Amino acid sequence: MDLKDIKAIIDLMKKNSVTEFELEKQDFKIRLKRGTNGGGAAASYDDAPAVTAAQPPSAIPAAVAAPQAPVVPVSNELEIKSPMIGTFYRAPSPEAAAYVEVGVEVNPETVVCIIEAMKVMNEIKAEAKGVITQIMVENAKPVEFGQPLFKVRPS
Amino acid sequence: MFEKILVANRGEIAVRIIRACKELNIRTVAIYSEADANSMHVQLADEAICIGTAPAGDSYLRIDRVVSAAEITDVDAIHPGYGFLAENAHFADVCESCNIRFIGPNSRAMSALEDKAVSRALAKRADVPTPPGSDGVVESEQEALQVAKRIGYPVMIKAIAGGGGRGMRAAHNDISLVKGYHTARGEAEKAFGNSGVYVEKFIENPHHVEFQILGDNRGHIIHLGERDCSIQRRNQKVLEECPSPLLDNPKFRKLREKMGKAAIKIAEAANYTNAGTVEFIVDTQGRYYFLEVNKRIQVEHPITEEVTGIDLVRYQIMLAMGEPLRHSQSDIQLKGHAIECRINAEDPFDDFRPSPGRIEMYYQPGGRGVRVDTHAYAGYTIPSAYDSMIGKLITYGRDRREAMDKMNRALGEYMITGVKTTISFQQAILQDPNFRRGVYSTAFIEQLLGGARRELMEEKA
Repeated sequence: MDLKDIKAIIDLMKKNSVTEFELEKQDFKIRLKRGTNGGGAAASYDDAPAVTAAQPPSAIPAAVAAPQAPVVPVSNELEIKSPMIGTFYRAPSPEAAAYVEVGVEVNPETVVCIIEAMKVMNEIKAEAKGVITQIMVENAKPVEFGQPLFKVRPS
Repeated sequence: MFEKILVANRGEIAVRIIRACKELNIRTVAIYSEADANSMHVQLADEAICIGTAPAGDSYLRIDRVVSAAEITDVDAIHPGYGFLAENAHFADVCESCNIRFIGPNSRAMSALEDKAVSRALAKRADVPTPPGSDGVVESEQEALQVAKRIGYPVMIKAIAGGGGRGMRAAHNDISLVKGYHTARGEAEKAFGNSGVYVEKFIENPHHVEFQILGDNRGHIIHLGERDCSIQRRNQKVLEECPSPLLDNPKFRKLREKMGKAAIKIAEAANYTNAGTVEFIVDTQGRYYFLEVNKRIQVEHPITEEVTGIDLVRYQIMLAMGEPLRHSQSDIQLKGHAIECRINAEDPFDDFRPSPGRIEMYYQPGGRGVRVDTHAYAGYTIPSAYDSMIGKLITYGRDRREAMDKMNRALGEYMITGVKTTISFQQAILQDPNFRRGVYSTAFIEQLLGGARRELMEEKA
């Protein structure tokens, strides 16, 4: 068995959601295991060199390897980026309530924060329609041009 | 003592300023456009703030953003470098009103020298010779024609707000004068936001000789000798040397002293403070004429540093902190000889077309008497949004001969691949017999290229 064969077996395993494969012959033994959710019925094979088709995924419930990566953030989320350099404020004044919180719906004209530059308080508009999913800067922290301020799930 | 300085510039000069700050134990803030995120000055500074997208007009020239960056990082002073906002009087004023020290001349000097026409008038009042020309801005083509008639052709039409060799047109007769007058005004409006032009006698094949000056806030002004910057291509300096071989000519021995005194007279008339450069042109008879004052640190400052042993950028910072000058005129000695070659990312074989892109391999020369001021490194991508200068190679020797030998050696060692550079062009200059003799004028490059073009044509034929 050479590398090409091993690659073919791995491909077949992937295609058919098989997580474990073991082959033992007179002069060698090979065991292939995919992912950490390895438990469950591993397809068993005899000496026949041809790899038989694995059982359909529904017959091997635990063997289906779940995606290993952490949940990938929904890629259609927008970022509201800072158009200027200054200090980021969540509310119009220290006593007032914040302009937006997570979960709040915004439209393009909604003021989401203030960026103070050279003693001028600049109201920053969302310029997006959707729901705030994350506030990325702490109150009263400095921000630079292009720095992400909020994440918005567009509606 | 300044604790923190914001460097309002990019590229090699930003690296230069950061180095001077570090040596003084002053913390640094870099500002950068999105195109400069991987630039060396950003990596060397203690803090870095992104101030906009690539175009200079959306970043390095945005006074509001530069000052905002200075405020949120709480700096004591801003060093403007050269170009960009370095000679912008309004920017200097905004800094002062925000309680941030501007490292450069004070606002009085800025307005006394606010444009070239005003500076010309100031020089005349200080009894310093200026090229014959108009008294201030020329308001109409009729006036331009009158001035040209009075002083005689050829003449130069120059933008009063011009700089870096831009905004100039030569005219040899009435027709080219009228054409040049309107073109120059249009160009000036677009490039500098100021269409004002003046007319000056075009002195043919001069030497461009400039004097470095330093002034403190107690009215003391000294000069640190001259730099010869005659080697120019389309009014852009290519190579500079200190001292000027022209002034070392026994025929013109007295010129250095006379011109130095004239430079100081002009600086005093303008109440100049911090670093500056007084530019003159010298004709073949040794007659000198005042051109303008550059109210900033200049690209070619290193050659003066090598020959005088004085750190000019450090001096700028000290003077801005209110320190007095530590040198009197008699303390200034010009020892040895220094040459600077500007290394541009341009293709000298394709009419100097700019060659931005990724530097693959980078090896810079070294050894005794070799200095490289650059922001380039292997893997660095030269952005297309800014000028093409990627570094300066400076050599210093006991005399001109040794400085030239070292420059030849150093240019041969310099390896940059991935982009085209003017290194081979500089080598051609260094090997030119007239350059080696020290006999050249501002027409040198044209003559050199003319000869090269002829050779190329002959080869092709």
